[in-house]
Parts: sequence; C-alpha cells; structure tokens
Amino acid sequence: MQEPTIHLSFRLAAWKWATMGILIAVFIAGWIVPLKSGIIKVTPDKAAAGEMLVVDVTGYNSSFLTDTSLLRAWLRLSGDTVIMATRIQVTGDRNLSARFYIPSVFPIRQEAYPLTLVLDHSQDGTSVLPNAIFITPALAQDTSELKLWFKDKIESVHEKAGIQYPFRNILAETIRNTYFHVPMWFAMIILFGVSAWYSLKYYQQGLIDFDRKSIAFIKVGLIFGLLGLVTGMLWAKYTWNAYWSWDVKQNMSAIALLIYAALMVMRSSVEDDMQKARLTAGYNMFAFGLLIPLLFIIPRMTDSLHPGNGGNPALGGEDLDNTMRMVFYPAVIGFIMLGLWMSQLVYRTDKLKGNQ
Amino acid sequence: MNRILNLVAIEARIELRERYALSGIVLYVLSSSFIVFSIWKQLPAKEWGLTFWVIFLFCSLMAVVKTFGRENEGRYFYYYTLYHPLELFVAKVMYNLLLLLFIFLTLWFVLYVMAGNHIIRMGWFLTTGLMASLGLSFLLTLITSIAIKTQQNASLTAVMALPLMIPLLINILRLTAYASGTTPDENPWNEMMMLSSIISLVIGMSLWLFPYLWRS
Repeated sequence: MQEPTIHLSFRLAAWKWATMGILIAVFIAGWIVPLKSGIIKVTPDKAAAGEMLVVDVTGYNSSFLTDTSLLRAWLRLSGDTVIMATRIQVTGDRNLSARFYIPSVFPIRQEAYPLTLVLDHSQDGTSVLPNAIFITPALAQDTSELKLWFKDKIESVHEKAGIQYPFRNILAETIRNTYFHVPMWFAMIILFGVSAWYSLKYYQQGLIDFDRKSIAFIKVGLIFGLLGLVTGMLWAKYTWNAYWSWDVKQNMSAIALLIYAALMVMRSSVEDDMQKARLTAGYNMFAFGLLIPLLFIIPRMTDSLHPGNGGNPALGGEDLDNTMRMVFYPAVIGFIMLGLWMSQLVYRTDKLKGNQ
Repeated sequence: MNRILNLVAIEARIELRERYALSGIVLYVLSSSFIVFSIWKQLPAKEWGLTFWVIFLFCSLMAVVKTFGRENEGRYFYYYTLYHPLELFVAKVMYNLLLLLFIFLTLWFVLYVMAGNHIIRMGWFLTTGLMASLGLSFLLTLITSIAIKTQQNASLTAVMALPLMIPLLINILRLTAYASGTTPDENPWNEMMMLSSIISLVIGMSLWLFPYLWRS
C-alpha cells in the first residue's frame, strides 16, 4: 500500500491577510494611542458664594509644569457667564490650585449653582469638567458684584496637537472599549443574518451542506454575542457601576443569545440528520425574523443607558471624533471578517467530522 | 373553511371527552394564582398586570404543549393524506386560540375575585388579551410542531418559545399598564401598531414555515 503524499503548503487568501493586518492595527492603535488631557478630580466640590475659593485640580495626561504662564482657568455658569481664576499655582504635572472670587450675586436665581471648570493650556488644550463645584448662595448679597460675571470670556483656547482619543468624563480610558464592544454586535448580527440566509438556501434546495454552513455561522455568532455581552458588562461595571443594570439593550441581547442557545439544544435532541436540518432551518428563519424587532425596534422605544437612547448622545457626537473613527470603522470591518473566517473554519471541521 | 372547522370540532371533542383537560387548566390557573397571591399578600395595580401575564404565559405553555401530542403518528399520516398542512395548522391554531381566550377570561375572573379589578379601560385590556392570545397561539403552535419531533418535547417547547415570546410580551405589558392607568397617559396606538406588526410577522412566518416543517 502506498503512503499518501501530503503536501504541506501555507497559503492564505488575500482577505485573510487583510483581516489579520486590520485587527493587529486595531489592537495596537486601540491600546497604545493616548488620551487627550482632562480633569479627574476637583476639591472642594462645594463652596459658598461671596468668598475667596481655592480649588485643587487633579488633571489626567496633563503637563501643567511646561508653560506655566499660559495656563488659564474659568468657572462657567452658562455660556459666556464665567469667572476667571485670579491666580494659578502649579504644584506638579497633574496638580494645580486655582484661586477664584465667587461673586455674591448670580444672574439667575437657584437653590444651588453648579459651575463647570474649564482649563486651558498651550500644550494640553482645553479640558472641561461639568458640574465641578456646587455653590450655595451667599447670605449678604452685593448687587454691584453682578458685573464680575461678564468681565471675562473664554477665548483664544488651544487645541492639543497630535493623534489622541478624546477624554470623556466617566468614560476615561474605557473609551477604548468602543473598538471591541461595538464591533462584536455588528459581527454577531451579520453572522446570524448569513446563517438565516443559508437556512433559506437549505429550505429552497435541501442540500445538507447549507445546513452545515448555517450552523457554523450560528456557533461563531454565539461566541461573538457572548464576547459582546462580557465586554459590555465589564464596561458597565466601570461606567454604570454594575455589571448588569437591566438595561433594555442588555436584556434584549441576552434574550437573542438564549434563542440561539435553544436552537443548539433543540438540534442535539433530534437524531435523524435530515429532520435536524429541516427543523434547524425553520426555527432559524423564524428566530431571525423575531430578532429584528427584538434588537432594532424595541430598544429604540424605551429609555436606555446606552448612547443614542433615552436622551443620551448617540455615537457620532463628541464620543466618536475623527481620530476614533479611523480605528472604529476598521475594527468593525476586521471583526466581521474574522467572524466569517472563523465560521469557514468551523464549517470545514464539521464537514471533515461528518465525512468520517 | 368548513374542513378546518370540522377539524377544530374533532379537536374539541377529543379534548372534552377527557374531563381532566379543561378542568386541569382551570385548576392550574387557580393554584398558581393562589401561590402568587400568598407570596404577594396584596396586589397593587402595577403588580396585578405583571402577575396576570406571568401566570397567563405559563398556563398557555402548559395548555398548548400537548397540541400535537394528542393523536398518534398513524392518525397524522391519515390527516396528511386528507388535509393540506395549512388546514391542519389553522385548525390547531384556532383551537389553541379558544383555549388561550378561555385561560385569559378565567384568569381575569380569578384575579378579579381575589385581588380586585385594577383595569380602568376594560376595552383596551380585552383587545390586548385578544391580540396576545392570537399571537401566542400562532407562535406556540409552530414551536410545539418543532418540539414534537424532538426527544424531550415539553421542556424544549418552553426553552424555545419563552425567549421568542418576549417581543410580544413587552408590548403586551405596556398596553396593560395603559389599560390599568399605571403609566402617564400616552398614545397607546403606537404600542398597538407595534404589537400588531409583530403578530402579523409571527403569523406570516408561521404560515410560511409550517408546511415545510411538518413534512417528515
């Protein structure tokens, strides 16, 4: 008996090289590119009006020590209603204290006045911390101090040069998760869609090969869905302070995974192969039809913590600036292509197992 | 149409011949209401609606799960030669619809007696019940027709049907909240449109898929 000769050759299609290239670039750029500078902490966070106020500011990614003379700080009530710091003392690259005089009268009347801290530095650019300090009204009010609010303006501010991701309050470094969490869902939807498409092909032509393909796409889609859920939960722990907050999108995506997990359970309890394939095709198309209202319509009708729902700003506002787009779009394409590649491998191994 | 009604009548006769079938459903409704009620002690309007639909869902699962299990294989083979699969399907759906409406009214009566009525807009709640029964009867009949072909029929029906019910359930709960006045008055027609479009999706897909799934 002649030994079969095996030719080992390593050839990959061009789009697979592209997938690897894109994903490596996404991982490197996603992790390494620094954030713009911002403000993390301000003490004290409460003060009374009509007094001198010294604020200790902790910055992030900041370089206060260079160019100390060009450092400016404002407390903003609204629009151009601002107070400029009279003196700024820098104690380190990330620490400074600014001295303000808070006028005893305000242009508007409220129980308490939230003030936004704005810093401008020639190298770091502008950093903003909304509602940094809450001011309680003064006991003795001097109306002549009203004009202090309109004396200064925030003008001739600097932009930080170079490629950086925006610094967003609360999000901070977790903004990088945009490149990993969001593409998972894109990939999952595409994979489930392709799977439903192959189920339709099986429905029309009845070739067992289409069933193998559709089930391979479901398996990989489930993996991507699980990863999307896990990355989302970790992100939620840092930003919403709980792994699971019964947000409508969290629930709906978990339910979508349950539907497909049920499909896998159903498959394992049917013995006949043709029967299995037919039931899978039918249930898969039915499930994908119901997935569309579940994932795309219902979450838009309810309040959600996610961006773009319930009055939250959507992706594409300040959260996704042009620098982030340069990584985000390749990440989406890269993860979708990775999903297709993985499904192809799963399909091939299933086919080999089936042939034995 | 006559042929379908004929099938429904056969179905009903088989069911009614066995006394335990309908009374079993009534007892299920009663005992689950008692359990829920003894846990809650009292039911304010909001919880009333939630409890209602939780009990309704599990009762309907229990009632519908034996849809295709009643007759033996040979009888289905016989039906297959006589009827188009769609006729069989529509007959089963109609019978299940009657069952679900029966559960709906029974449950409403039981909760009315036990926990008082919290529904302000009766018409809306009745319409919601009708829509829910219609959508669920189609969905559950299709799922049971898949599950009957597997090894573990009852548990798989629940596993496959429960997640698929959720888009329906969310809209039903909102309409119930409107009917019992626990949400600020907003336009309920939005939810009604949404619910009816999901139901028509379910109906369309199940009518399309059932003849295909039924062949074996």
